[in-house]
Amino acid sequence: MIILFVVLPLIVAGLLPLAGKLSRRVLPDLLANATLAGLLAYAAVAGRALIAGGPVLQQSSWLGEAVNIRLALDAFSLFMLVAIALVGLAASLFSIDYMEHYGAKANYYALYLVMIAGMNGLVLATDLFGVYLFLEVAAIASYALVAYGLGHDELEAAFKYLMLSVVASAFLLGAIAVIFGMTGSLDFAAVAAGLKELNAGAVVGIASAFFLLGFGLKAALVPFHAWLPDAHPSAPAPISAILSGLLIKVSGVYALTRIFLNVFGLTPALSTVLMWLATVSVVVAAFLALGQKDMKRMLAYSSISQVGYVVLGIGIGTPLGIAGGLFHLFNHALAKGLLFLTSGSVQQATGTRDLDRMGGLAKRMPITATTNLIGSLSIAGVPPLNGFWSKLLIIVALVQAGHPVFAIIAVLASVLTLWYYLLLQRKAFFGKLNEAWSGVKEAPFWMTLATVLLALLCVGIGILFSSTVSTWIRPAADVLADGVHAVTGSWGF
Amino acid sequence: MVLQTALLIGMVLFAVLAILLKDVLRSAIALAVASLLLGIVFFRMGAPYAGVFEISVVAGLITVLFILTIALTRKGDEVRESRLANWVFPLAFVAFVIIDALVMKGLIGKIPALAGGTETGTFGDILWKGRTLDLVGQIAVILAGVFAVLALFRKRDNHD
Amino acid sequence: MTNTWYLYLFFAVALVVAGLLGLLGRRNLIKLLIAIEVIGKGITLLLLATGYAKASLLTAQALVITYIVIEVSLVATAMALIINIYRESKSLDIRSLAKLKG
Repeated sequence: MIILFVVLPLIVAGLLPLAGKLSRRVLPDLLANATLAGLLAYAAVAGRALIAGGPVLQQSSWLGEAVNIRLALDAFSLFMLVAIALVGLAASLFSIDYMEHYGAKANYYALYLVMIAGMNGLVLATDLFGVYLFLEVAAIASYALVAYGLGHDELEAAFKYLMLSVVASAFLLGAIAVIFGMTGSLDFAAVAAGLKELNAGAVVGIASAFFLLGFGLKAALVPFHAWLPDAHPSAPAPISAILSGLLIKVSGVYALTRIFLNVFGLTPALSTVLMWLATVSVVVAAFLALGQKDMKRMLAYSSISQVGYVVLGIGIGTPLGIAGGLFHLFNHALAKGLLFLTSGSVQQATGTRDLDRMGGLAKRMPITATTNLIGSLSIAGVPPLNGFWSKLLIIVALVQAGHPVFAIIAVLASVLTLWYYLLLQRKAFFGKLNEAWSGVKEAPFWMTLATVLLALLCVGIGILFSSTVSTWIRPAADVLADGVHAVTGSWGF
Repeated sequence: MVLQTALLIGMVLFAVLAILLKDVLRSAIALAVASLLLGIVFFRMGAPYAGVFEISVVAGLITVLFILTIALTRKGDEVRESRLANWVFPLAFVAFVIIDALVMKGLIGKIPALAGGTETGTFGDILWKGRTLDLVGQIAVILAGVFAVLALFRKRDNHD
Repeated sequence: MTNTWYLYLFFAVALVVAGLLGLLGRRNLIKLLIAIEVIGKGITLLLLATGYAKASLLTAQALVITYIVIEVSLVATAMALIINIYRESKSLDIRSLAKLKG
């Protein structure tokens, strides 16, 4: 029952206001987290069995009538579902303590679950308009969640985010309308078949450009990144974790990848454009991250840079490259989620995000400092953590595919990344304990638990990387490397 | 077709007016008129359901939302728009429209398309049975909007 | 694609361009929202025109209806943001929202 991934969070979200009236804290916390834990269990445990025989296509029938709810679960979608559920659960556990002083927790969880439902729906959709629809669901929920604190900065960031997002959506729908006009259908399989038949290079190129603009904005690729450094820091920490860790990847990278690789087919021209855009993101954002004083802003720029790595890997088009890109997507979701959560712990303890005012927090918040260190090293690509392996895969794939220059740039940017993360660690956690913070305590239980969970995963996946890659990443990469065949062959309803 | 084109021109004019007018309330009303004209265009295209939705929801409900917001933010009305933008906009717009017309004329016949499919069933069938997932999505979007408004208007008692 | 499609496309693009120019040039938050609405109109026109050209008006209408529902949610959320911004800074000027640098 794959539809559960979309419908279950929605139903629980609908029930949450009622639960909130009955019990202000316990019941909403319990409901929301149980839902996410359930989704994670379903995806991680039952998912692999479901797709063992090929993609699962669901066409439901309601009350006897055959309705047309078409959802498709293949290795790539399953991979995304697991990532969403995992980081979603961690941030949700974190919220149990963190969102206490924001008020109206039931409402928060409701928005949160709607966003998760939107992301799940996007991942499972089988036609272009379905992707767009669920993208908007998650986006609208995210506007409210970014502005949740109702402070001046949050509202400003949310409004600008909204404005840019709407432009992106307009371009997306425009491209979808043109594709609909050309092929007469919106379904992935039908569109793929139709485009092959038409062989209309130029128009597909323009539609691709519009898709790139729209999804590139959602993924915050340079030069469409301007909204992210304001939106992600202003949001409450667990939401920043979800936005950086999941939303930009689901509504940006997943949608882009699915459409470009499985529906349009990755042409050499497209591959080059993607790789160039990605590299610009990697480098420019890394430099911009260097000068930041605000902890979360530095993390936000780092997200832009790392998403560049992901798109770079996928843009190469070879199975190894795609696998590297997807693996990095997963690792970054875990590590960046972790880092935003720890930044939330720090912000709650000290009341500030200014790195220059922090110092020596490791003495008072040892667990947070350790988990932050793990997350930082993971993103910077230090062995044996998970980030190292995914970056290595991408770099090897670049060299193998005959792009040594890109590989060198990727390595250099990695060094830069390591530098600014170590800077972050030193300024915030190591060094002399700033007098002002001598009274701070370690973060509350759920917040610490969530960060420890993610940190353990970073380490664990780093050590067990080869089994992770072969069980989860390789199948997903194969679906994508298959290109248009993956969709036209087995997805025809 | 002539009437259709006239309606479309009128609609674009009112939309541009909605953006250019100084008074926000008049802008909102211009937008409502543009929506009304667009709804009529839809009817004449043979899309009555879209026309109804356009008129009742966009020209109706959304205009009401706009007027509500305007009423709630009355004092902030003195936003001096940039004088430069006031005449750059019409010039830029006219320039773009000319480019638009030329591009469209050049594109005629250039975009290949497969033959249109035949649609079976009534609109109800297509919406409820053909695009059911969209309905689930609509419910999700409505929930998102409702919770967003509730969250953004909640009582701020102990907010830091 | 039939010639009428190009006619409708012309008007749809005109609307989208008008909306984009509005987004660039206007300062009042509510006017910005109106510009967003105009862009939305352009897109609905394009969707329906495409349906008309492909004789799939019913599907196109289903899409447009869903899109309008999305728009209502969007406008409601944007309104909530605007009203909160007004309460916060007593102004509807986008220049008062220049604290963050992007």
